[in-house]
Amino acid sequence: MKVPVTLRIVLLAVGATAFYTYVGQLVPQKRVMPPPPPKQIQKNVTPAQLADLGKEIVHGKGTCLNCHTIGEHVPNARFPDLANVDERAKQREKGFSDIDYFAQTLYEPDAYIVPGFSPGMPTINKPPIGLNDDEIRAVIAYLQSLGGKPTMTMQTPLRFGPEATKAANATGEQSAQPEAESSTPQAAPAAPAPGASTS
Amino acid sequence: MKRRAFIAAIIAVVALFVVVKGAEWFNTRLSYHPPTVEKSEWTPRQQEVQKEKAEAQAEAKKEAETKEPVYPEYRAFPVIGSRVAIWIAAQLHLLFAAFVLAVPLFALIIEFIGYRTGDKRYDDLAYEFCKLLSVSFSLTASFGAVLTFMLIILYPKFTSYLMTIFSPTFAPYLGLFFFEAFFLYTYYYGWGKFGKRVHLLLGLGLNLVGTSIMVIANAWVTFMMSPKGVSEKGALLSLHDAIHNYTWMPINIHRFIANIAFGGSVAAAYAAYQFLKAETDEERAHYDWMGYIGNFVAISALLPLPFAGYWLAKEIYGFSQSMGLTMMGGAFSWLFIIQAVLIGNLFLAANYYLWLGMGRIDGAERFRKYIKYLLIVITLCFMVWATPHSIIATVREVQEMGGAFHPILGFLGVMAAKNTAVNILILTTYVSFLLYRRGGKRPTVSWAHWGNRAEFLIFVLATLSVLFFGIYGYFVPAEVRIKLSVPQVASVLFTIISVTAIDIAMLRGAEKIGRTRWGQMPARSQYVLVFLAVSFTWLMGLMGYVRSGLRLHWHVYGILRDTSPDAFTPTLGFATKVVSVCVLIFFLFIGFIFWLAGLSGKENSHGKEEPAETAPPLEGGEQPALEGEIAP
Repeated sequence: MKVPVTLRIVLLAVGATAFYTYVGQLVPQKRVMPPPPPKQIQKNVTPAQLADLGKEIVHGKGTCLNCHTIGEHVPNARFPDLANVDERAKQREKGFSDIDYFAQTLYEPDAYIVPGFSPGMPTINKPPIGLNDDEIRAVIAYLQSLGGKPTMTMQTPLRFGPEATKAANATGEQSAQPEAESSTPQAAPAAPAPGASTS
Repeated sequence: MKRRAFIAAIIAVVALFVVVKGAEWFNTRLSYHPPTVEKSEWTPRQQEVQKEKAEAQAEAKKEAETKEPVYPEYRAFPVIGSRVAIWIAAQLHLLFAAFVLAVPLFALIIEFIGYRTGDKRYDDLAYEFCKLLSVSFSLTASFGAVLTFMLIILYPKFTSYLMTIFSPTFAPYLGLFFFEAFFLYTYYYGWGKFGKRVHLLLGLGLNLVGTSIMVIANAWVTFMMSPKGVSEKGALLSLHDAIHNYTWMPINIHRFIANIAFGGSVAAAYAAYQFLKAETDEERAHYDWMGYIGNFVAISALLPLPFAGYWLAKEIYGFSQSMGLTMMGGAFSWLFIIQAVLIGNLFLAANYYLWLGMGRIDGAERFRKYIKYLLIVITLCFMVWATPHSIIATVREVQEMGGAFHPILGFLGVMAAKNTAVNILILTTYVSFLLYRRGGKRPTVSWAHWGNRAEFLIFVLATLSVLFFGIYGYFVPAEVRIKLSVPQVASVLFTIISVTAIDIAMLRGAEKIGRTRWGQMPARSQYVLVFLAVSFTWLMGLMGYVRSGLRLHWHVYGILRDTSPDAFTPTLGFATKVVSVCVLIFFLFIGFIFWLAGLSGKENSHGKEEPAETAPPLEGGEQPALEGEIAP
């Protein structure tokens, strides 16, 4: 029996399409869900609990592991590996604690670029990632736990981010006040001007 | 004939008038009235029911008048959901749009070649390509309308936002659309009726307008992907910047080239269909030639396409490293393995068609011994390109490997190896084409010996350059490695351009050592053309998905979030199913267009053939003119 040309072409088109669909089923199947709503973290959590929450964010909503690895030895990786990152963070910039360094990296990622790497880290509290300040604290606590012991709490002052800016503005206003008022203890050290931490 | 058409048109208008008037008359005479009962005959219960009903209606009306109107952000499409519905409508619109943009471009070039050489066969061929346009244009517009209405109905908030930003671009877009209709129909129906230069100008106008339409629409699409010119909250700051966003120009170029490749492949599939249905040798010769040219156009556009892709990817990284990483290392990284399978198939099939084509050229058998080496190189490159970066493995296997990266294959899964593979793949395909082109000829110029050596040397140097930069990429930091694709691409482009220039000069006035027996191609070669068209279409669908899907849960990346139930990114398996549905629907429609186009050359009901609309048959085995440019 001779199969008509039109039918052969139809079979070929359907067959080729089915083959590519089949190839599509062979690769890993992952459905990417939209990130959950922002977390409001209780003020009395311990650093260890905060680090646990941070781990969840780093592995999920923060999408950090799209670019970074933790302990995987990828030749010529495009972004720094995060294994033992806390050890490096303590010495990365003069006058910066590990918390300062992490906060700068997350709020002002282009202020300091690790030698050998290109800029590319997004500002974490802005879209598309858009973590809130509580979540960023949790991420910092988790990063501290990679090579160190987390000390971050919900009360630890930050040198970068909206809270630091607010504190800096408040300080500026206070300094314009009479001397007696300016001696009030500061809640947090003043945030340096953007980019000042580079070098 | 014209008189009969005129009478038929008058009858049609009169018939339409009669039908409309008749419907009006019936409507007034036989309007529907529900059965009624006089109020005086109602029972007390019926009266009470009616009273309650009237009160409820009055209350509902009062409530409706005081209630604030609700404007939903989303509406649901039944069964398949809103996203899939939009996806299918957009994909079909894009496929037909790509086709109606591409075909006039190469039809114009072929017509111009016919005009310059005086060979009527090129003119007829260009006209035959254009026969596919008329219905395709209507379908493009229809799917465009479907897409627009569906966006307004299903995604009103998002559509409203996009309109707020781009409203000034809508008037020129609509104006150009009318111009495109004007140019298309005058170009098609004016074939042979205008002076040749006027007709070529109409074709040029059609192409300019069509490309402008694409460029405007690309601004909307790329803004969604890489928004610019708006505040953090999405307020418009600069329309110029919103249009000229990061990915606008790369997408313009990428789509322009990809459309040509796609249009050429679909036109070649049409020729293949007609070849397989042909009853005479003359028809087979004609459609063999047409298929060859369609495929030539497709492959010529396919070769530079990866370079346009590099540029697009570079701009995506430039806009957002996070988006770039989502594409190449995150949720979509495995999609590029599927793409590698498709591209590998495209290159293999395109080369196979050329090798089969060498069988119809007397004298080409001297090159047959090289085919096996070309096949080995193509297969190796295909394997490298399809090697995934990380391996799907069990926990034990991962432990044994020391991670998700295979100790050997892991090195082939990175971009340094893949870039090298695709560049060599392109060079190899170009070699196949050169061998095909030289099949029936022998250069006679005095410097032919040196010309051959120069070509060989350029190929060797280009290959070494591609390999060197590929291997060097393993030893340098990421920021240096990314830039190494530029010299790789540059050396391949230089090779293609310089060798083509040398070859054209060298084969000018070449000795014909055999003739091309057009039409004497095995049937499987024509199925290869159909397979190429299906693969091109499927690839377009897949890459359209990744471009759109990269936005993840954003309508406009980082600006307007998708809060609909479809905000998640589906699995690749699901995406490939939707792509396949789109491709099959597209081929269903394109089959209808092929059938319609085929009708115009057939005998009509009076046993007469329609006026000559198809190219006159090629005389037994004679090559078309303009050797060395399009014809082999």
